[in-house]
Amino acid sequence: MWVVSVEELTLSQAQELRRGTVVLACLALLRKPQYGYALLETLDDAGVTVDGNTLYPLLRRLEKQGLLTSEWNTDESRPRKFYRVSPDGSRVREGLVREWQDLVASISRLTKENE
Amino acid sequence: MSTGVLTERYVHEVVRRLPADQRDDVAQELRATIADTIDGRGGDDHQAAEREVLGELGDPVRYAAQYTERPLVLIGPDLYPAYVRVLTTLVAGVLPVLSLGLALLEVADGGGLGDAVRVGAGTLIGVGAQLVAAITVVFAVNERIRYRRGTTGDRWTPDELPDVPQQDKGGVAALAAVAWNVLLFALIVWQHTAEPYRADDGEHLEVLNPDLWSGWLWPVLAGLAGLAVVGVARVAGQGWTVRLAGWYALAHAVFTLPLAWVLYRQELFNPDFLADATTLWESQESVYGGAALIVLAIGVTSVAKAYRTALR
Repeated sequence: MWVVSVEELTLSQAQELRRGTVVLACLALLRKPQYGYALLETLDDAGVTVDGNTLYPLLRRLEKQGLLTSEWNTDESRPRKFYRVSPDGSRVREGLVREWQDLVASISRLTKENE
Repeated sequence: MSTGVLTERYVHEVVRRLPADQRDDVAQELRATIADTIDGRGGDDHQAAEREVLGELGDPVRYAAQYTERPLVLIGPDLYPAYVRVLTTLVAGVLPVLSLGLALLEVADGGGLGDAVRVGAGTLIGVGAQLVAAITVVFAVNERIRYRRGTTGDRWTPDELPDVPQQDKGGVAALAAVAWNVLLFALIVWQHTAEPYRADDGEHLEVLNPDLWSGWLWPVLAGLAGLAVVGVARVAGQGWTVRLAGWYALAHAVFTLPLAWVLYRQELFNPDFLADATTLWESQESVYGGAALIVLAIGVTSVAKAYRTALR
């Protein structure tokens, strides 16, 4: 039988956990305008690992939903598209932050009770 | 800025799958992003880095789908069970019977065992391939329509739950009807190509009037095909809708009206065949009139039933 090691299982479950946090991290970071690749690097440094092929389309979708606005910056030799949070995006971020804190509180309570 | 040929090919593969108004913008951003990522690697070998970066972005088809949020499936999880059910019923149920039947007819017709096997295998492969293709197309179209409707945000309610026993019975009955339509279609074509009836003087004859092939038999065949498609769509969509019942009525009209007319005019059967087979039935006039009425009655009741179920 093919057995998946505990380490691999933990890794894939952890990935599921992180998936939803990428949006929140983007909404938090993009209070300052930023372009795709730089945002990816910042996220990476902050420990929120996300693939480019997930992040770049995600930014577009958030823009389409009105949570982000974008602007082309042509000051440098390489034109880049800068994203920043819209007023709607800020409100969503506040809601998500509250949700996140509630989750952290309830999960830590749950995990403590079962120790 | 330097973007290689490989990047251009990648960008092109992505953006040609996007709506026209987004293409230039996405292309420009993607080029910049790829170039940024390559620079970020900081290696000396630019081309190797480019290959690596594009490889990590992955299949352009998949990447483009992330933008459009289009489903990357032919038949999604909602329709898949119905698809498998229809496919197995028709392929495992109808196809062997049809192939065996035609093979046996070949034997009865005086063909050797080799001919019978050839006819049987030919039917199995030929009709089987068309059956699978046709069912798949109907379901795939259904999937696309559902997806479009899904994005408009219709909320599912428990009212949409189908009645369990009725749905099941309807499913089996509908599949049987589809099988019957396919069988009838095949028989009509077969009797034309194989000329199965052998007259007393040894001449091979078609059972149906050959003149019909330059006229009324085409709408009859088109109507049969239409009925089969509507039947499959009905099982795929799990029940009648008013629109589907409309298509059903149309297909039935295309099939039934010419058939009834031909019966009424007593032109259905091959005159040579009838002359040879007079002993089979005595008085033809009353048989024709009765058959025309029966065909019309079946058509009207089937369509009425479809509408009644759809409107309920």
